[in-house]
Amino acid sequence: MITQAADVIFRVWDDHRRRPFWRMVQLFVARIFRGAGDSDADGLDLGIGLVLTLLALPGAFVSLFLMDKYGSLLQWLRGITHVDTLAIVLPDEYFFIVLSMTVTGAVAVWRWDAIFPDRRDYMNLVPLPISTRNIFFANLIAVLFLVILIAFDVNAASCVLFPTVVAASQSEFIFFVKFAVVHAAGVLLGSVFAFLAVFLTLGILMAVLPPRALQRVSAYVRGLVVVYLVGLLCTAFAVPDLLRQAGGHVPSWTALMPSTWFLGLCQSLRGRADPVLTALSARVIPGIVAVAVVALCAYAVGYRRHFVRIAEITDTTVIDHTPALLPRKWRFGVLLDRLALHTAFQKGGFRFICKTMLRSEAHRLALTGVGGLALVLASQALLDAVEGTRSRRAAALSPDALSIPFILSFLVIVGLRIVFEVPVDLRSNWIFQLMLDSDGQECERLAQRVILILVLPGLVAITLPVYAYLEGWLVAGLHTLLVATWAVLLTNIVLIRFRKLPFTCTLPLFKQHSFVTMLSFVFGFLLYARSTPEFESSALLEPVRMLSLIPVAAVAWYVPHFLAKNTIDLEKKLIFEESPTPTIEALRLSD
Amino acid sequence: MLEAVHLTKRYASLPAVQDLSFSLRPGQVLGCLGPNGSGKSTTVKMLTGLLQPTRGVVQFDGHNIQHDLMAYRKCLGYVPEEPHLYPYLTGWEYLELIGTLRGMPRPDLEKKIDSLLELFSLHPNRHASIGCYSKGMRQRILLIAAIMDDPEIFIFDEPLSGLDVTSALIFKNLVQALGRQGKLVFYCSHVLEVVEKVCSDVLILRKGVVIAQDSVTNIGRILGQSLENTFLHLVDDVDTMSVARDIVSVMQMKAA
Repeated sequence: MITQAADVIFRVWDDHRRRPFWRMVQLFVARIFRGAGDSDADGLDLGIGLVLTLLALPGAFVSLFLMDKYGSLLQWLRGITHVDTLAIVLPDEYFFIVLSMTVTGAVAVWRWDAIFPDRRDYMNLVPLPISTRNIFFANLIAVLFLVILIAFDVNAASCVLFPTVVAASQSEFIFFVKFAVVHAAGVLLGSVFAFLAVFLTLGILMAVLPPRALQRVSAYVRGLVVVYLVGLLCTAFAVPDLLRQAGGHVPSWTALMPSTWFLGLCQSLRGRADPVLTALSARVIPGIVAVAVVALCAYAVGYRRHFVRIAEITDTTVIDHTPALLPRKWRFGVLLDRLALHTAFQKGGFRFICKTMLRSEAHRLALTGVGGLALVLASQALLDAVEGTRSRRAAALSPDALSIPFILSFLVIVGLRIVFEVPVDLRSNWIFQLMLDSDGQECERLAQRVILILVLPGLVAITLPVYAYLEGWLVAGLHTLLVATWAVLLTNIVLIRFRKLPFTCTLPLFKQHSFVTMLSFVFGFLLYARSTPEFESSALLEPVRMLSLIPVAAVAWYVPHFLAKNTIDLEKKLIFEESPTPTIEALRLSD
Repeated sequence: MLEAVHLTKRYASLPAVQDLSFSLRPGQVLGCLGPNGSGKSTTVKMLTGLLQPTRGVVQFDGHNIQHDLMAYRKCLGYVPEEPHLYPYLTGWEYLELIGTLRGMPRPDLEKKIDSLLELFSLHPNRHASIGCYSKGMRQRILLIAAIMDDPEIFIFDEPLSGLDVTSALIFKNLVQALGRQGKLVFYCSHVLEVVEKVCSDVLILRKGVVIAQDSVTNIGRILGQSLENTFLHLVDDVDTMSVARDIVSVMQMKAA
């Protein structure tokens, strides 16, 4: 009986699946996951299964980390016997809502170019006997399906694990069920809202901007969305306290933080909401409906303006003949050639790297994310420095204020180093394979110069005048010198055994020591951006103490040089492909 | 019969094609020649219904194609200039997708796909993703996608690009065979020898305007020379030898 029913369902599903419209829906779903764009560039294609697993991981990990907080035995051992679970759960609930919105929003930004049908779809589908209306609806259904799939995937683990962890100390099973349902409602709706909000932003841009402007503007808007999401995540721990201190009035900033609305919804459904949270929960349904309706309208207008007219758009190419503003000898590139880039390889490589970072969507997005994180952490440090400090001078010399250039330089240097590993259209790297000397070891030097040229002038230009104004030239000079020296040393360290031209090599394989590398980055950050400013804060009061940093700097300078000297020639060769390390290696004694 | 009647296409105020008229009868293979920017691609896009003409109409059997684009596209097989394919689909999956979207009956579709993949020497690679295909293999996939529903009209835009010698020879014979079957074939190319060999008639465009339209034999007879020389005579008023000499001298140029 069950087998027969399953057979019937399978046959009906199979029949539907093969109908032109649903076949197109499947195509769009696969396209959104597997990438779009006009080129078949070797991008980061992870496959649907792996993407879904990766998206589900953060919720699972965070839930497991909370076991320590909610475990009844652990609470009893700490002497905590009477706990109002629903009261202490509020900050964690908010964090889950923010996490779900951030991850879903990030997915939408990542798949930004693939959400709408593009030129490839146009060239493949429009010459076939299918109406453009059907293409519109097929893509819309694919997008809606993905919203639901991603919302469930991102929150699946937290919807089960977090209530399990929270209800572990409760005796009634119904508590678990109620908690899980309310939590699921909050995080799922948050996810849907985040995706639709990004979809709305893209739709409005498409509806309003002409195609050429869209390409340029959308890159910046994506960057802003990433910065917003990073900001949302970084402020997740502070917002619940701010809401508690709101004093009965709904703060105006909550209009820009829809995550608070969903927290309000959860608390209202549990009957634990104060007036502020009750007022915030009232925004959820109108907010989602408004975003959905406007997104749909914007999508329809954008589709008509862009997709239906793709043939006309691609046939009209306008060449920009804007004359240069400065005479050749004063242009930035020419000045750099004279001052910093000495060989032909460095000159050509520097331009290639900078232009790739500026023009490749994936790289721009990654750098914007890193930049956003750097700005958020720096702003937090600035706030901490100003908070509770009486004088401007004391604030400027506090470890928090001194850490700002360290935070910025660390994240930008490490971010650039990571971005160098992400390849761009590997089919085009034949020119480098053909022309570059594989024994030449200039790649490390080139990467070093790129990082330092991009980081140092900005650091010096901000740190020196600000501290000269606040603390005088001696402190400004010492602080700037320390920041610059640390940036140079960090650059040398992150480029140890770097033997590739950025963007031209396949992605590095995940190795066992990748975890160690990640831990080293975290430890390095603490050492670089926390411990150093703390020492500096006390040393600046007695500048001679700064001399004690010289041995540290000498060691940090010597280690990369020592490793470079002791690397065998084979490991210095320029590579274009990351090969796996064999499990068993032959000794090749006869070679 | 496919007819272009006073077709004009303007982008903003720039004319891409001006007052283009021709007809394509069953069994006729019409070649379209012209240098870059002469309006060939725009013409092809108007013939396929991808672009709406600013003025004039494209008629199929006396009806404006824009009035029932779906019915017209059911009769159309099109090979675009650039092989924009979905790299994550396999060759077989792509053809199955196109067949499904064209509304081809299932058993026929699978049989046809297998047979055509075999004939175009792609059967061993049918389950490899298109991302791994060479340019020639992609081009063959596009050719199969265009012909597998046995349409009435064929529009080929640079169909030989990337094909190896054998596949190119097969394709040339295929075009002639389609002509003999009474199909309508519009063939756009830069390769003059191929046009000369496979097309019965030729249309030469320059700056969006038709400058010659006749049978291949007539055009050659009137000017008393090969199609290549005729093309150069009509289209390009450049001395190719002197341009080549200039290129060499620029190559050898050294900074003072």
